[in-house]
Amino acid sequence: MRSSSSLKRDFLKKWVTSLQICSFSIRGTSVLERKKAIKLSADLAMASARKGTTCWSRALIANASKDDNNKVLIEHILGSHEYERSKQASIGSLMCNKRIRCKKILKKSFRMRRVPKKSCEPRMVIASSLAKRFIKKRTQFLRSLVPGGEFMDDISLMEETLDYIVSLRAQVDVMKTLVCATELVNCN
Amino acid sequence: MSSRRSRQQNVSRITDDQIIELVSKLRQLLPEIRSRRSDKVSASKVLQETCNYIRNLHREVDDLSERLSELLATIDVDSPEAAIIRSLIT
Repeated sequence: MRSSSSLKRDFLKKWVTSLQICSFSIRGTSVLERKKAIKLSADLAMASARKGTTCWSRALIANASKDDNNKVLIEHILGSHEYERSKQASIGSLMCNKRIRCKKILKKSFRMRRVPKKSCEPRMVIASSLAKRFIKKRTQFLRSLVPGGEFMDDISLMEETLDYIVSLRAQVDVMKTLVCATELVNCN
Repeated sequence: MSSRRSRQQNVSRITDDQIIELVSKLRQLLPEIRSRRSDKVSASKVLQETCNYIRNLHREVDDLSERLSELLATIDVDSPEAAIIRSLIT
């Protein structure tokens, strides 16, 4: 994984550039509109800093591309070549879905052929199936939090979550520093 | 037939190890669990803490965006303060 300081530098550069682009259009708009623009530019800047190497960043950009209002911002952050590529990413996620369905069919066929264990205690079986259902529920929730999570299998989801958390932390660190610095300067 | 069964076992063994490794990496990232010395943290606990952590980070991003949005309302882009910020960044 890249060092977090180089990730932060990349993110900061892209974010500030996009804020400067935004600043002309957001002057005179409501606080809420400005906030949405700032948040979107921060998310896109971080996703773009991953340079298409992770599934969540591609999914985030693809989702943002669906809204035509974001086109100018995305093109500026990514470059128009990558913007076109990001639109193709939504097709890629459909392919992921097919792969997952094939895996599920395979898994099911293995399970059907397995000889059932008769020696297991009924209590242990219930406990383990409850635990499995619990984990499944948590995993579903995690899928809803990570961009593009619905299209990932369990292993990819874990790997993407690791990367996503590291990126989010870097994003929060940089944003906090900028906001605090701006507040300090504003106070004087 | 036996080769199929052993292949099936091999596949599940690799997956279990991978999962354990990923779960332990995730544990190291989570601040709450890291502070607890105990090694025995269930996978479902790790997943729960992960979800909470991601939600907190989302909330922080949201909050910081709001603060910056309010600040930009008060800062004039051409003012000397804005120039200081710009020089800090570039």
